[in-house]
Amino acid sequence: MSDQTSNGMHCNEFDLLLSDALDGVLTGAQLDRFQAHTRGCKACGPLFAEVEAGRNWLKGLTEVEPPASLVTNILASTTGVDTQRLRTVERAPQPGITWLERVQASVSGFMEPIWATVRQPRFAMSFGMAFFALSVGLTVAGVKPADLTKISLRPAAIRRTYYSTRAQVVHRYENIRFVYEVESRVREIKRNITPAEPAPAKPKDNKNDTTQQPEQKQERNYSQTDSHLILASAPLGPSVNDLPVVSVTTDRRFV
Amino acid sequence: MEDVQVVAMLVRRCIAGDAAAWEEIVQNYNRRIYNICYRFAGSGDDAEDLTQEVFIKMYRTLSSYDHTKGAFVTWVTTITRNLLVDHFRKGKQDRMTDSIDTAASEHEDAQPLSEQIPDQSAPPDAHIRSREVSETVHSALAKLSPELREAVILRDLQDMDYREIATALRVPEGTVKSRINRGRAELARLLQRTYRQVM
Ligand SMILES: [Zn+2]
Repeated sequence: MSDQTSNGMHCNEFDLLLSDALDGVLTGAQLDRFQAHTRGCKACGPLFAEVEAGRNWLKGLTEVEPPASLVTNILASTTGVDTQRLRTVERAPQPGITWLERVQASVSGFMEPIWATVRQPRFAMSFGMAFFALSVGLTVAGVKPADLTKISLRPAAIRRTYYSTRAQVVHRYENIRFVYEVESRVREIKRNITPAEPAPAKPKDNKNDTTQQPEQKQERNYSQTDSHLILASAPLGPSVNDLPVVSVTTDRRFV
Repeated sequence: MEDVQVVAMLVRRCIAGDAAAWEEIVQNYNRRIYNICYRFAGSGDDAEDLTQEVFIKMYRTLSSYDHTKGAFVTWVTTITRNLLVDHFRKGKQDRMTDSIDTAASEHEDAQPLSEQIPDQSAPPDAHIRSREVSETVHSALAKLSPELREAVILRDLQDMDYREIATALRVPEGTVKSRINRGRAELARLLQRTYRQVM
């Protein structure tokens, strides 16, 4: 910009007033002087045209739409927690679904693999027999179904209940073949449960040394989920860690 | 532009750990910040990353906002602008032009914008045509020096007043006006040159 005075206005002053002139806020004598300088100054005249054109180009630019993921990403990178909340809002619960159905839906998520195993005929057989044996045992021991509601599910209490019940059963039917039947069934359960231990070095039980046999391998797969079933199917248990104790105790007593 | 009391309350809730308040701030300002970043940085990917960085910085420094010292939007814009300047000073700055004169001489030879100008002989759809023009202007904007670019972005794209821009850029209002003039003029020259070459 040239450093001249034209029509009573210095080029520096023109520069300061240029924005206001384009904004339409110049009035009266100031506007007249500005317009006169624009017409008369060889430097400022073209400058005015350029600045006006540049402003018009820029005004033609519209806002761009941010990516849809932007807000979610911002929240994830700042609070982290909000992302979860957003997702929950996105999947708002549909009307007409009861709380029970929602619980079932959420439970079925992690129960599904276990349930799939339970449905396999082989496991279902073992499970059914074990349940049958237990219910018969309880019945002959004089335990009524109503009493079950009073049973404490603390592991120590379960162990105590088990011992006293078994003592009665053994006392009355010690020499009966039925007891052996029950015990053999429990042994079968035990066989399924024992290899569930994650230790790669297998215990002395030779029956479990079956790494070369696909059929036996499959049995081990079942048994791995067996222990999960026992854990998951005891929802009232106070501590998951205590629960395997019940099955271990069973093994020790019967084998 | 913003209700000072409402925003101040929102900020207070945020500082107190109200996640919903923070989400509201993010919802209210992400578009604005993204657009400033996009126009300044030139690319959508950079703008996305930079916008996230701005919000991370905002989140950490929210308690430093004093509503008696200025509008929240000015505070947000200042953070955005400072982050952009820091970011581009570090690396990408080398490619940028420092003055109108060097920019003019460089682009005379390089003719980078003309490549993006559509073939005038084919009558294009008005919508496509306007999008192409927008892209050309956007590319020209990226060729301005950062100090001119930020000035015209805040004025002509974000409609901030000179006082707010002066606060965000930490320069006098007179300097802001001068930069806006130079930025607009330089952009017009770049585009004029480009279109003259095509026609
Ligand atoms: Zn002049």
